[in-house]
Amino acid sequence: MEFAVLFLCVLVVMAVSWWGSHRLALALFSIVLVASVATYLHHATDTLNLSFKGNLSF
Amino acid sequence: MNRSIGVTLNALGLYGIALVLVAAFAGQIVLGELPCPLCLLQRVLFAILAIGPILNIRFGPNPGHYALSLLAAMVGATVSARQILLHIMPRDPGYGSALLGYHYYTWAFIAFAAAIVLIAIVLLFDDRLPDNKVARPIGLFASGAVWLVIALTAINAASTLLECGFRACPDNPTFYELLKRTP
Repeated sequence: MEFAVLFLCVLVVMAVSWWGSHRLALALFSIVLVASVATYLHHATDTLNLSFKGNLSF
Repeated sequence: MNRSIGVTLNALGLYGIALVLVAAFAGQIVLGELPCPLCLLQRVLFAILAIGPILNIRFGPNPGHYALSLLAAMVGATVSARQILLHIMPRDPGYGSALLGYHYYTWAFIAFAAAIVLIAIVLLFDDRLPDNKVARPIGLFASGAVWLVIALTAINAASTLLECGFRACPDNPTFYELLKRTP
């Protein structure tokens, strides 16, 4: 669901960039970019189901 | 480089982003391969990458707008590089089907890196970047590019809602959550 919300937020930023004020577009862009980085960091802390897990030999 | 050339280059950039989003969506529809969370995040970042060109088309080319695109491309390259590294081991089949030998996330990394290089080149040769931030009449070619990217972002929003529903997206989605059926 978080990705659908992100897409909708980007859609709003695009709409403001195209029809709205310049300053508001920049502010919303910053918020969406930070939200994207936060989403990435959230997933980066997930346990990874790597395909080679358990197959490593040292 | 005058404003007209700058706007045309930005419109071409938007058509390029639209091509990437259409290719991803075509893979989803034709091959029935639903995008994973990292794949969706890369699509989101392609859409964010489009905001700089939209501002350039509307208000005129401006270094600040290019900086927005550079930031988005940097984050996008980071996300796609992470997914490449997840599948870096030999004999790993990767996620989804390969297109021309590379998976979508590898193409995404190449596209984000290319965007960074292209924006740097445009900035290098753009010695007369007006800082007026005044909207002017926009041609059909440029406004068509903006509308195309906005439409593709809206389609992606709807598709993602269908895929994930109102819960967290699964790591390896195989069906549309809201439709409760495989693609």
